[in-house]
Amino acid sequence: MKKTNKAERTYFDRVHAWGRISSITALCILIMFPLSICLYLGVWPSLSGVMSGLMKLIPLYWSLAVIEVLVYTPMLGAGGTYLSFVTGNITNLKLPCAISSMENAKVKANSEEGEVISTIAIATSSIVTTIIIAIGVLVFKPFLPAFTNSELLMPAFKQVQPALFGALAAGYFSKHWKISIFPILIMLVVLLFAPTLDAGTLLFPGIIASVLGAFAMWKLKWVK
Amino acid sequence: MDFKESTGLYLIAGGVILFVLLQSVFFLVKAWKQGEKLGIDKKKLRDAVTSSAVFTIPSALSVLATVIVLAPSLGLVIPWVRLSVLGNLLYETKAAGDAMTAFGQEGGISSVITDPEVFAGVAWVMTLGICFSLVLLPFVAKPLHRKMLNLGKKDEAKEETTEKKSGGIAGFIDLLTPAVFIGLIGAFVARAIAGKGKPETFGDGAGVLSVITLVVAVGASLILEFVAKKFKLTWLEPFVMPIGMIIAMVVAVVAYNVLPPELAVLEWRG
Repeated sequence: MKKTNKAERTYFDRVHAWGRISSITALCILIMFPLSICLYLGVWPSLSGVMSGLMKLIPLYWSLAVIEVLVYTPMLGAGGTYLSFVTGNITNLKLPCAISSMENAKVKANSEEGEVISTIAIATSSIVTTIIIAIGVLVFKPFLPAFTNSELLMPAFKQVQPALFGALAAGYFSKHWKISIFPILIMLVVLLFAPTLDAGTLLFPGIIASVLGAFAMWKLKWVK
Repeated sequence: MDFKESTGLYLIAGGVILFVLLQSVFFLVKAWKQGEKLGIDKKKLRDAVTSSAVFTIPSALSVLATVIVLAPSLGLVIPWVRLSVLGNLLYETKAAGDAMTAFGQEGGISSVITDPEVFAGVAWVMTLGICFSLVLLPFVAKPLHRKMLNLGKKDEAKEETTEKKSGGIAGFIDLLTPAVFIGLIGAFVARAIAGKGKPETFGDGAGVLSVITLVVAVGASLILEFVAKKFKLTWLEPFVMPIGMIIAMVVAVVAYNVLPPELAVLEWRG
C-alpha cells in the first residue's frame, strides 16, 4: 500500500473540515427538532421544567460526553468519530463494527488504512441502523409491538450485548489473551463491590486496568 | 387522533433522519474513494461494508425494540429521532424517565404522555441532555487524531527501519490500541458474568442466559474462525463475528424455552 504523502494528509484535513461542518449542522438540526415540535403543536414547556429535567442529566451525561470524546475519538478514526457521535450507539454498535472491520481487513486503528476502513464500517452501520429503525417505525408499526413483545424472541433481544461482545471477544481475546486476563479480573472484582455498575461506566476502570496491565507486561517483556 | 402520532411530527422526524442518512452516505463515498487512492484491495472495502451491515442488523433490531418499548409512553416520533441521532439504549431510557418526572409525570416511562406541553418538554430535555459531545467534537477531534496519527507514523517508520528499541515507549504503541479495546469489550463481558440488574427486570443482570449466550458467542466465533482458516474459506472470515453473534442469540431463545423456567430466568446477582 502507498505510504503517507501530502495528498493523504490533506484527506485528513478535509475529513475534519467536513466533520466540523456536519457536527455543527447536526447540532442545529437536533435543536430544531424540539423547536419544531413546539411550533407545530403551538406549546412552550416551562423553562423550570426543562431545567429541572436537565439538572438530573447534565452532571452525569455531560461528564460522560467529555470522557467518551477523549476515549473513543482516537479509536474511531476521524470520519468514524464525527459519524458515530451524530448517530449514537457507539459502545454497543459503532465501535464493535469498526473494530471488527479493521481486524478483518488487518489494518491498524491509528493508520490511514484503518481510518478508511473504520469510516466505511461506521457509515454502513449508521445507514443500516437508520434504515432498519425507519422501516420498523413506518412500515411495520402496527405489527412491531407483537414482534418485540413476543415471548419467543424476547430472550434474543435481552441478550444482544453478551452475544455481540462475546463474538467480538473471541477474536480479540484469543489474539491478545495475555493482556486480556488482568483487566477482566479487575472488572469482575469491581463488580463484586459495585454490582449495579453499568458497562458504560465499568469500561473506564477496565480500560485503565488493561492499559496499565499491558504496559507492565510489556515492561517485564512478557509480551511484545 | 393522538397528537403524538400526527403526520406533521413524522415529517419533522423524517427531515432529521434524512440528514443522518445523507451524512453517512457522504462519509462512506469519501472514505471509499480514499481507500481506492491508498490502494486498499476493493474486496477489503466491500467486506467492510457487507460485514458491518450483517453485524449491525441484530443490534439495530434491538435499538428498534427500544424505540417500541418507549413508544407507548412517548409515541414513536421522539424515540425514533432520539435513537437515530446521538442516541444510546441506556441513555434514552433513563433520560425519558427523568424528563417525564421533571414535568410532574409520575411513573416515568411507564406512564403515557397526554399533555402536548409535557411532550415538547421531554423532547427538549432529551435533546439538550445528550448534545454536549457535538459541542466538543469540533474543538477536540482534530488535535486528538493528529496525535494518534503521529504515533501511528512513528510506528510505521520504526517497522520499516526495523529499529525496535526495546526500552523505548514507542514499542508499547502496538499494544496500546488492543489494550484499550480489550478494556472496552471486557466491561461488557464482565457485566454478563457478574453484573447486577434491576430486581424487577429480567435480562439486565448476569445469569444463566447471559452466560450461555456469552459462551456460545465466543465458542461459535472461535469454531467459525478455525473452519474459515482450516478450509481456506476467505469469504467466511468477515462473517465470523456476525454469524457467531446470531447463533448465540438463537441459542438464547432455545435455552430460554428448553430450560426449566426457574433456571432460565436465574440471575445470580439479582
